[in-house]
Amino acid sequence: MSEPGRAGPAEQGRRDAVEQVSAVRPFLLTEGRVVDGEQALPMETQLVATPEALAQLEEPHLAFERRAIIETCRVPVSLAELAARLKLHLNVVRVLVGDLHTRQLLTVHVPRAAGGSDLDILRRVIDGLRAIHTSGGPGHD
Amino acid sequence: MASAQYTRQAGPAMTEATPTATAIRPPQPVKMVISGGFGVGKTTAIGAVSEIEPLTTEAAITEVAAGVDDTSLTPRKTTTTVAMDFGCLTLDPTLKLYIFGTPGQDRFGFMWKDVTAGALGALVVVDSRRLDECFPAVDYFEREGTPFAIAVNAFDGVLSHSLPAVRSALDVAPEVPVVAFDARSADSVRESLIVVLEHALMRARGY
Ligand SMILES: Nc1nc2c(ncn2[C@@H]2O[C@H](COP(=O)(O)OP(=O)(O)OP(=O)(O)O)[C@@H](O)[C@H]2O)c(=O)[nH]1
Ligand SMILES: [Mg+2]
Repeated sequence: MSEPGRAGPAEQGRRDAVEQVSAVRPFLLTEGRVVDGEQALPMETQLVATPEALAQLEEPHLAFERRAIIETCRVPVSLAELAARLKLHLNVVRVLVGDLHTRQLLTVHVPRAAGGSDLDILRRVIDGLRAIHTSGGPGHD
Repeated sequence: MASAQYTRQAGPAMTEATPTATAIRPPQPVKMVISGGFGVGKTTAIGAVSEIEPLTTEAAITEVAAGVDDTSLTPRKTTTTVAMDFGCLTLDPTLKLYIFGTPGQDRFGFMWKDVTAGALGALVVVDSRRLDECFPAVDYFEREGTPFAIAVNAFDGVLSHSLPAVRSALDVAPEVPVVAFDARSADSVRESLIVVLEHALMRARGY
């Protein structure tokens, strides 16, 4: 997904922004707000930066952590993946994502609750896993 | 929270829509859970099937201690960090499977809710030498009604107990699959996940 090997100047700036994030204290970022666990966004929620957000990357005032989120969400990314890549706690990311969504900088695709009773999805996942199995691949050992 | 105004993914519309330059359509995410006791091979299994290096997500948990802080007379709070690892598999451009590992500690049960909510099913990994360690996971999925299967990790290819012996020791319902697996093998883990899903399919059809 990401390509850690390559580091052009733009790429490096982006990485600096990402690295800065983990140094910021969670409470400063979220102003002490907490997220209710019951209503929290599922961890597999897909996030995508809006064109407006990508345009704002040119602007210097954008806070580091917001910039890092937008950078990471150029391509669809799950909430869990975003938290892991930015080394931020899950609930901190939930709050930041909520803020960016309110400012229309991020589209937030909440997965429809599939669960273990959605026949169509279950069949598609089984078929998908079987297809990987039969085609073989680099994962074999 | 403002979650009501988030885009909730539609059913068929989601998969039929054509991506456009202005609106990137993410895949529909689905998830499965790999659970079990301490050191049974959960992370190894996730790493074996995932298309990315397993990532770790951390969540802070605030526990309010029973006593009070001497100076401020406010309840003492301690913050613990729980790490959950996960991987993913793109099944097709419109469907992505996330595989989450549950944090080992029993007392973080409510974190499990976060991990397991909406999961298609769970694989409970068991070390046949330490069967009892999977009880919290088995209890949890039975209680939540999450379809699950037991995967007995044959460390070094040898099972300490036969599968029927494991089944009777765990006392799971007769329809719960119990399979042997190797957490290091992508094929083996994928096959075990398919066993979970087929079990879920049977249940969903009402068998
Ligand atoms: N020989 C052998 N070793 C294994 C197998 N599965 C896991 N291991 C080893 O067992 C140890 C624990 O595996 P992990 O995958 O970290 O287990 P875990 O369930 O994620 O552990 P915790 O997250 O600490 O609860 C590691 O050193 C693995 O390399 C297996 O099938 N065979
Ligand atoms: Mg682990």
